[in-house]
Amino acid sequence: MTSGPYNYSYIFKYIIIGDMGVGKSCLLHQFTDKKFMADCPHTIGVEFGTRIIEVAGQKIKLQIWDTAGQERFRAVTRSYYRGAAGALMVYDITRRSTYNHLSSWLTDTRNLTNPSTVIFLIGNKSDLDGQRDVTYEEAKQFADENGLMFVEASAKTGQNVEEAFLETAKKIYQSIQDGRLDLNAAESGVQHKPASPGRPLAAQPPARDNCAC
Amino acid sequence: MEDVLDEVVSSEDLQKFERVFHEQLHLGKVTHKAQFEYAWCLVRSKYPTDIRKGILLLKELFNSHPEGKRDYLFYLAIGNARIKEYNKALHYVKSFLEIEPANQQVLALERQINKRMEKEGLIGIAMAGTAVLALGGLVGLGVALASKKK
Ligand SMILES: Nc1nc2c(ncn2[C@@H]2O[C@H](COP(=O)(O)OP(=O)(O)OP(=O)(O)O)[C@@H](O)[C@H]2O)c(=O)[nH]1
Ligand SMILES: [Mg+2]
Repeated sequence: MTSGPYNYSYIFKYIIIGDMGVGKSCLLHQFTDKKFMADCPHTIGVEFGTRIIEVAGQKIKLQIWDTAGQERFRAVTRSYYRGAAGALMVYDITRRSTYNHLSSWLTDTRNLTNPSTVIFLIGNKSDLDGQRDVTYEEAKQFADENGLMFVEASAKTGQNVEEAFLETAKKIYQSIQDGRLDLNAAESGVQHKPASPGRPLAAQPPARDNCAC
Repeated sequence: MEDVLDEVVSSEDLQKFERVFHEQLHLGKVTHKAQFEYAWCLVRSKYPTDIRKGILLLKELFNSHPEGKRDYLFYLAIGNARIKEYNKALHYVKSFLEIEPANQQVLALERQINKRMEKEGLIGIAMAGTAVLALGGLVGLGVALASKKK
């Protein structure tokens, strides 16, 4: 179906972080496979997913690292923060403790990423409104005070899942356009892939950067 | 970067966890945590000798610390796949799936390992110059592998 080595012009690196059981992996699978896993086991270390999206007519490949929330993985998963262009920080609206831990997740993220990293706060499990333990208003205020984007979402129904991933990408793309995000910086979390016309190899000038990685 | 098997640990991280492990080793008491963190970095190294060292540490943990079994099996599979010991890697995947048959993360790893086996088989055979014939055989192999999973 595809022609040429790339069918996208940018790669954005994302991380998904937050306490165990808040629904990080379910959000990832809802976004990449449009499926909900009712009985999802704890992630081991990190899980990886990709999807190609479109922002302002540009195809962008999202490379998403879903980190394990269990404490014993914490030390090593922190190294995945480096060079993230987007960070989805997730809590569970039915479990107050997962919300209370946000400031420590936020501190980690600020310390380990760069100033241009877009941080998006997701209050997951919005389908369980009856068991709500954190109000929308309270979380919205936390997000505003800390300059975070915010939605309540449900990995189960899919509500706002697409939006969270896409709005993050739009914000990153804007930063590139404004020059706030330096594409040449080693840890910007963004790679630019110059569009290549899908010509036969012989017709191309000697190319160096055409590895499929 | 297409999947977890491509990912490489940074040398700073490897050194950081190596230091902790060696300090504890020196004091004569290595915690499961320090050994696991170091092994997890080793199996993501670009050097096969590191990966083999990581595999040894994971095997030791697997035998001494049953609570962490699923973590150790998972990274034993990754380490072996990264040094192209695909059959061993699939063996660990299978042991894992016996405990948790529907684990998506491990099923995805199994698919990646199978994909690599097919891809590398194809490259090897194409070089021998009997590409067309071999292709038929390879498709057969792929089918056999796929059906074996069930
Ligand atoms: N009702 C409801 N349940 C959800 C939702 N998202 C996740 N769950 C359930 O919550 C549990 C935990 O979800 P996971 O996605 O595994 O959580 P996680 O954050 O990845 O957990 P760790 O991998 O341990 O860090 C699972 O049993 C899911 O089925 C949601 O939006 N609504
Ligand atoms: Mg998870």
